[in-house]
Amino acid sequence: MSEIYDIGYRHYEGPRLGRAHAVRALITQNLRSIFGLGRRARSKLMPFLLAASMLLLPVVSIAMMAMLGRNDIGYTNYPVIMQAVIAIFLASQSPTITAPDLRFKVLPLYLSRPVSTLDYVAAKVVAMATALFALVALPLTVMYAGELLVDPPGPPHTKEYVAGLVTALLLALLLSTFGLALASFTPRRGLGVASVIAVYLLASAVSTVLFATFESMGRADVAQWAWLVNPFFLVDSVQSWLFGTTPANGYTYPAGVFSALLLAALLGLSLTAFILRYRKAASR
Amino acid sequence: MHILATEGLTQRFPTVTALDQLSVTVEAGVTGLVGANGAGKSTLIKILLGLLPQTAGRAEVLGLDVVTHGPQIRALVGYMPEHDCLPPDVSATELVVHLAQISGLPRTAARERAADVLRHVGLYEERYRAIGGYSTGMKQRVKLAQALVHDPQLVFLDEPTNGLDPQGRDEMLTLIRRIGTEFGISVLVTSHLLGELERVCDHVIVIDGGRLLRSSAITEFTQSTQILTVEVEEGAEPLAARLTELGQSVTAHGRGLLVQVDGPETYDTIRDAVCDLDLCLIRLEQGRQRIEDVFRV
Repeated sequence: MSEIYDIGYRHYEGPRLGRAHAVRALITQNLRSIFGLGRRARSKLMPFLLAASMLLLPVVSIAMMAMLGRNDIGYTNYPVIMQAVIAIFLASQSPTITAPDLRFKVLPLYLSRPVSTLDYVAAKVVAMATALFALVALPLTVMYAGELLVDPPGPPHTKEYVAGLVTALLLALLLSTFGLALASFTPRRGLGVASVIAVYLLASAVSTVLFATFESMGRADVAQWAWLVNPFFLVDSVQSWLFGTTPANGYTYPAGVFSALLLAALLGLSLTAFILRYRKAASR
Repeated sequence: MHILATEGLTQRFPTVTALDQLSVTVEAGVTGLVGANGAGKSTLIKILLGLLPQTAGRAEVLGLDVVTHGPQIRALVGYMPEHDCLPPDVSATELVVHLAQISGLPRTAARERAADVLRHVGLYEERYRAIGGYSTGMKQRVKLAQALVHDPQLVFLDEPTNGLDPQGRDEMLTLIRRIGTEFGISVLVTSHLLGELERVCDHVIVIDGGRLLRSSAITEFTQSTQILTVEVEEGAEPLAARLTELGQSVTAHGRGLLVQVDGPETYDTIRDAVCDLDLCLIRLEQGRQRIEDVFRV
């Protein structure tokens, strides 16, 4: 069989591209994993279902705008409203790009090529952040396009839309590093999903309980700090500090500088943990 | 030209010394790296790929220093890891195309090369199926294909025959020989079985406990150690006497005789002795474990 088609071994004389090309290929591959492209239909179900449900709110908003002439679209509080869906997306898809690597020990295949562990890790963060950004930014863009088309009374909310995009980027960076770092501690996908969602639920619950407790003690000044335990409100507080938007929690946040510092610290911490985890895996 | 050279290469881990003052040079062609498990073979490959900084000494691959030129070396070298390392949920084609891109090939070239190389290693229609369903033999072929896809000048194959049945082992060894000759890619192949490498290598390096035991051309190995098994229908004793008389070292072994090969003339001597004594020659076979015999002595 082989003899018929065998035209002998041919050497490759074409161009050899550098590290940037390799990193781009890694990012693409990770994005394909996140959305289940090139894999079974079952792998595509979750990410696309969640992405579609993110579009529900913009569609309803546009309809309200068109039929009732109302113009109160939530560009800035959209991530907070949709936080459960975003958290589920993060939990279900983060382990798809960390667990198989670690479980099936594929690192030697990459590290024996001209990419470093850092390139490899950076590509994962960029891919996950891109996916999360798209998840939030696409519905916002649909909403904005709808607003421009329907043209309800009053000026268009361009400033709010831009604020929404910047917030989406910050949120994507924080969640992706945090989710990936957490998911990478186990080579088992199911455990990774469970740990990310558990941490989100815990943070959300602790935040609410702390707020309620301090509020009932009449310590509103302390209670406002409780919001920052939930990453979605943390990013929202940074947004309201940067763009002067109304807080999505309906209350007030502590001074924005602290939120921004906390956000930066969390980002740095997660990123460091993620890199160290892969350094350890690479050395084996 | 040396394809790789080490000088006083030493690698110490907290509890063990994996490589101890290893100085060795390797020429183009197929080179076997032999040693028991834990002899330091995999450590040596990691250092040569620039993935593990050595404790002391120097190492060069294709004229490039491993410490300062790691990425350049890794662009020119292919590596087939010893252990399982394949993701089960993608097809062989998708994985090999992707890894070709990581090695710097543009997408179209990566596709062409992947198709070519998968065919060369003997994967046909099954290359579109997910790797999870492959047999061990097929997985080894995918691992070999990814090491070759970027047309390297040198490949490191770490225990490529691990876990294969005798037929798969044979096919893998034939393939390795072809890579070294027909493909024109130098090969450094490790194994803990000496006899296996004898078939495919031009040169063999033996390490033990991180030290160099021996490094020499395969011909040197076999010439000094080759043993022939001679079996005749009847009259083994007269034949043994005759051969001893003619200056051959002969030992009786079961129904046959073991004759030390001193050179090509040994074959003539045996043939002539059998003819002169008018015996029926049933078997004249090269000993199976020739290289091992060297180390036993």
